[in-house]
Amino acid sequence: MALLQVENLTARYGPVEVLHGINLNVNEGEIVSLLGANGAGKTTLLHSICGLHTAKEGRIHFNQHDITRMPAEAVVPKGMAHAPERRQIFSTMTVEDNLWLGASHRMGKESKKDLNIEIESIYERFPILAERKWQMGGTLSGGQQQMLAIGRALLSKPKLLLLDEPSLGLAPLIVKEILTIVQEIRAEWGTTILLVEQNARAALSVSDRAYVLSTGTVMLEGHAQEIANDPRVQSAYLGHSHTAI
Amino acid sequence: MKVINKWGKGFFLYLFLVLIFPFLPIDEYYRSVAIIIGFHSIVTIGLCLLMGQAGQISLGQAAFFGLGAYTSAVVTAKYGLSPMIGLLIAMIIPAVFAYVLGRAIAGLQGYYLAMATLAFGFIVQIGITEWESVTGGANGMINIPQIAFFGESELRMYYLVWALVTCVLVFSLSLLHSRVGRAFRAIHKSEVAATSMGINVRSFKLSAFIISGIFAGLAGGLYAHFMGILDPQPFGLHESIKFLTMVVIGGMTSIWGALIGAVVINAISEILTVLREYIPFLHGDVDTIVFGGILVLIVMFMPEGLVPKSAAFLQSMKMKKKAARGEEDDQSMERKATT
Repeated sequence: MALLQVENLTARYGPVEVLHGINLNVNEGEIVSLLGANGAGKTTLLHSICGLHTAKEGRIHFNQHDITRMPAEAVVPKGMAHAPERRQIFSTMTVEDNLWLGASHRMGKESKKDLNIEIESIYERFPILAERKWQMGGTLSGGQQQMLAIGRALLSKPKLLLLDEPSLGLAPLIVKEILTIVQEIRAEWGTTILLVEQNARAALSVSDRAYVLSTGTVMLEGHAQEIANDPRVQSAYLGHSHTAI
Repeated sequence: MKVINKWGKGFFLYLFLVLIFPFLPIDEYYRSVAIIIGFHSIVTIGLCLLMGQAGQISLGQAAFFGLGAYTSAVVTAKYGLSPMIGLLIAMIIPAVFAYVLGRAIAGLQGYYLAMATLAFGFIVQIGITEWESVTGGANGMINIPQIAFFGESELRMYYLVWALVTCVLVFSLSLLHSRVGRAFRAIHKSEVAATSMGINVRSFKLSAFIISGIFAGLAGGLYAHFMGILDPQPFGLHESIKFLTMVVIGGMTSIWGALIGAVVINAISEILTVLREYIPFLHGDVDTIVFGGILVLIVMFMPEGLVPKSAAFLQSMKMKKKAARGEEDDQSMERKATT
């Protein structure tokens, strides 16, 4: 069974249905990207998965648990971490405090010493964060904040990491760096990753599989390479040809 | 006691001042002012945890203060329990109220939370006034026993109150440096982001309400036994706003700020009392006008409050000194290099 299994998921904001029966699987060890234009429902789908938004119909199974109506704070200990859109760094708290917050649900259960070792390993992975340990989160640059958001999410020891638009507002070079980090995280920690992106080309370059969302339905799914070669995707998201869909 | 180490000099200065204050060559009247400041500090430290740290506004803190005062007064004066047990019950009852209130308004934020706590404040004050058979209504209660803390004297009361303030202070400072404090600050910044971290926002908000309720209740109980008489008048919106002003003046993000705020507001109050003897038109409710004016000035010119502002000022002075010294070093090095 897949690590994450979304079946026939429907979500609404008040009377407006924004997701119409989504089916999606993420297998252990995969990097899967979720593509789509503005308003396609990517973030809503992500929020439904991680429990920030309650789905109307359908089922979400994660790691052998039914998490369909579970609130977000209960989903995190099950092994799902969420690095939210626009990073949501706690800007008036230090980098160190931000990282500790990532380990919130493990505090009290695991020894402080062990957690400290893990925080050190995050610092090793992102040396720039170690340099800025005592700086306020809000003083970091966009790319550094994204690293902090990823590091913070990793500290909850996730099996699955949800990344919501990590490239948002970053320079192309930094986007590349962040996506390289995403690949390295899978290699080093074996973390499965669900990546939500508008930057389709960049996302596809690091993914195994992808889903393309359009106005609340899955328009296309398949291997990253296939998706990248699909003429509809090329015209709509990659800008190779200018013919209409 | 990591906290004490961290605060080092500041904490020992505080202890020193608290210990020697009663022996300063000033009028004994100021000892009772210091006791009142102690009550206010306990309330404002709790309010600071709730408002400055967890980001939940409360316009009804005086209600918890009142609940504590009346609870302890009723169980001791009417049912003959010892004041120490009265104080304990004075913490439990407000905690229960805080729990119920917190559960009821858990989903509220910002203005709505302010309105809900405001309403709670009114309900409690009206409840106290109307429940005449128990609380004595608007006439109030008399003959509330003193606390016997190795005997009954004002000096002993002073040390008891400030010992409790110190306990509350150390507890709150430790809390801030723990995961609970971190969770409070995260919730303050963004409830959604905090939830994404796996923080149970509702239960932490609830615990902030309960802790602040317990502190206010404790202060209320002490107040009742110290005054010996009670009436519902000082437990209304006016007092809630006064607590709020203390926290804001001292600096919402700082526990020490809550303490300093309580000292400053009470000091101003005393100064106004003295001035009244010389300036006849200061009669009436001048305090409110002055506090309101101070609040406006603070919000306009020093929104972070006294304590964080002066901490930042000291820090920048240190940096400047260091920089000046650094330059000198550079110059002397240069001189050495040229000679």
